[in-house]
Amino acid sequence: MSGTAGPLPAADAIVTTGAIPATGAIATRRGPLATLNPLAKLAAPLPAMLVVVFSRDLLLPTAFIVLALLVLLIGARLPGRVVAALLIGTPLAAIVLGVSFGVWVDPSRLSGPETSIVLFSIGEWSFTLAAYLVGFTTGLRILAILLLSLMAGMTSTGPEFVRAMVQNLRVPYRIGYTALAALRFVPRFGHELEIIRAAHRVRGTVRGRGPIAATRRAFGTAVPLLASAIRHAERVALAMDARAFGAHTTRTERVLSPWRVRDTLFVAGFVAVSALIVWATWGR
Amino acid sequence: MRTPPIIELDRVSIRHEGANRPTPAGVSFDVAPGEVVLILGPSGCGKSTLALALDGLVPHAVPAELEGTVRVAGLDSREHPVGVLSEHVAMVFQDPDAQIVTGSVLDEVCFAPENQLVEAPEVLARAERALKLVGLWDRRTESPDTLSGGGRQRLAIACALAMAAPVLVLDEPTANLDPAGIDEVYAVLRELADDDDHAIVLVEHNLDSAVDLVDRVIVLDAGGRLVIDGPARETLRERADELAALGVWLPVSTLAAMRLRDAGVPIGPLPLTPAELAEALDALPHLPAPLSSSSPVRSTALAPTPSLATATGGLAAVTAPVIRARGVSVRRGGRRGPVVVHDVDLEVAAGEFLAIVGTNGAGKTSLLQALAGVVEAPRGTVEVLGVDPARADARERARRVGFVFQNPEHQFIAGSARDELEQGLRLQGLGDAEVTEACDRMLRRFGLEELAEQHPFLLSGGQKRRLSVGTALVAGAPVLALDEPTFGQDRARAAELLDMLRSLNDEGTTVLVVTHDLQLVADYATRLAVMRGGRLLGVGATGEVLAGPLIEQAGLRHPPLARATRGLEHHPEWHTVTRMSQLPVATGGAR
Repeated sequence: MSGTAGPLPAADAIVTTGAIPATGAIATRRGPLATLNPLAKLAAPLPAMLVVVFSRDLLLPTAFIVLALLVLLIGARLPGRVVAALLIGTPLAAIVLGVSFGVWVDPSRLSGPETSIVLFSIGEWSFTLAAYLVGFTTGLRILAILLLSLMAGMTSTGPEFVRAMVQNLRVPYRIGYTALAALRFVPRFGHELEIIRAAHRVRGTVRGRGPIAATRRAFGTAVPLLASAIRHAERVALAMDARAFGAHTTRTERVLSPWRVRDTLFVAGFVAVSALIVWATWGR
Repeated sequence: MRTPPIIELDRVSIRHEGANRPTPAGVSFDVAPGEVVLILGPSGCGKSTLALALDGLVPHAVPAELEGTVRVAGLDSREHPVGVLSEHVAMVFQDPDAQIVTGSVLDEVCFAPENQLVEAPEVLARAERALKLVGLWDRRTESPDTLSGGGRQRLAIACALAMAAPVLVLDEPTANLDPAGIDEVYAVLRELADDDDHAIVLVEHNLDSAVDLVDRVIVLDAGGRLVIDGPARETLRERADELAALGVWLPVSTLAAMRLRDAGVPIGPLPLTPAELAEALDALPHLPAPLSSSSPVRSTALAPTPSLATATGGLAAVTAPVIRARGVSVRRGGRRGPVVVHDVDLEVAAGEFLAIVGTNGAGKTSLLQALAGVVEAPRGTVEVLGVDPARADARERARRVGFVFQNPEHQFIAGSARDELEQGLRLQGLGDAEVTEACDRMLRRFGLEELAEQHPFLLSGGQKRRLSVGTALVAGAPVLALDEPTFGQDRARAAELLDMLRSLNDEGTTVLVVTHDLQLVADYATRLAVMRGGRLLGVGATGEVLAGPLIEQAGLRHPPLARATRGLEHHPEWHTVTRMSQLPVATGGAR
């Protein structure tokens, strides 16, 4: 990851990620995290995520959840609604996930004093504290990974990611920008699917219940959706060709996505803190 | 010395993969810098294909065989990729949604010059110039999705302008727009045509808007051969009969004048715009009286030759309403979504041809869907032949009202045309013999008997539309509701569909359409419901509504014929002439 691609013309028209006046990117998303390179925010928590995957106990994922929340709350100026959702939703989700994962735990593989504490039972089967704790820990691990990835996800936009991939990772721009154009299809297809469903309902096809009828219905809506998707994609491709997309091996980057000292510092700092947390909590 | 042409076509024939004959076939012409050229021709003549060949998309991106040569600024299009040719030719396509690639208006305009490796400051300078010209500079930070259809098409024009190419090719740029959007786009095109910086090649069937800005017309016949190449006004005026015979859609004002001439009214040179028609009529000391709306003469902008109505249907005596709506409100997107239709009262009598008109977002489609039970209106507010259509089961509803969506493909659920029709009959619980018989009758009625085993998606556009109308009516529904049935279609297909609706209407079917094409409304509908902002402004007989103030209150523009007759100084009795069928006919002129 180094430098910037393409020629560098007079600097006044060049904008960099983070300082976003005229590019039309979302201006409300600010805070120190937003000024970092998206790849830095993606790379920094990777080692931590890996450790969380292989961790077994409760404290380590909890510590990373707290770390990720701290970085998010300090580093990004999130709207109050989102802050509340993060702070209340995270513990709530952990408690609920504990039950939903816990019921799948094989009781014969559990041991220790917690196996004798029954939380509730249905007929022969009983849900023990030991099973709940295993489920709870799994839930915490998933939440930790989710929150660590939100550091990048909540503070950068799709175009910023693509720019960083193209400029810093040398991903061919044809792939990056085509993917971005394809992303715009998603809401369109959602809307179209709604119309197709209504159209089929009018024809009286919504008959029968159960998985077989549902599968047939889904297949019935897939054909018109696919037909129109292919047609739409062909048209978009023609329009992009006509606008010289792919004519050259590079393209002008109006918005630069530089890798700065602070990006290196952020990654190094985050990895160091992660190491410290692992050292302090592993096996406890 | 003449300036060298910027585009040269020499005996160009293009055959699409799988087609057995080329369209266009052997076409040669040049385009000079600054010229505004309109390409006309009946549907299927290869106009759009020709447009794609002008910047090398044919043969480089479209699977088609190109014979002859296309030279762009001296470069042979076969030997240079689209990327190189795009420095000289910029394109604007029909569907504004299929041209948007980025998430903001500014990024969109910068997309092409960035691909062309133009330096960043110049990219921004070009983007600013282009966006200011189309009036979108103040909205540059917004997402293109927030723009109206006309706004998005202006954005597409700005994107083409930012490429700084000397030629602009537009392929039916207004076919998917409402009247307001069409006006917006033509206001921009007029400015471009006036400043002479660009040569413009325009493929368009809506001549009413295009006629006053083009310098030259090129006409292809149904076989794709070039038959006329001449100055615009003279050609349209002097060879109007020839053009009409070729299947080219002339301006409504020209068609009206031709009709009057046939009726013995001495009109000099044929007018091309409503203003010219008004002038020509006012210059005459005497005009025959227009026909009353109850006369049996039929004539439309789509089929101007007058004919006589044969059926006795249409405006029959007052009967009980088939649709009764009281206080209908519609909310979109669930319980917390916005209310898009407010408190509408409407009655539709049996045998009516009702059109619901309004600008985009006026709530016309939502109202139609509520009337046909596609979306739910509050309990007890809508009644179709005695049932609440949104709450009746599919069988009951299908027996009363059929709904045709804008895109017929959305409604297809079976593997063949026959199965599509049978599905509706089986839903009614009919036996095998009855199903086969009724299905055959329907296939014959809609001219699809040869195609009974064809997959619905493999039918032509017109056949798909006929089949979708067939499936809506197969269960015997006496009411047919259609959402924008002519949207994005050319004249031939629109005419075919509307004539079919008219004959269904003659046979007694009550027809409801949502449309923004007011000339179509004027010519076909018997009643008109005008909407604005989710509310019904008024309902009335078509002629009365078009002559009154409702159309302007709804933010719409009068159709061309009404625009011409409204301002007549010497013939006040003509002020209410809005439909082609009101124009006088020579004795024995209608058959």
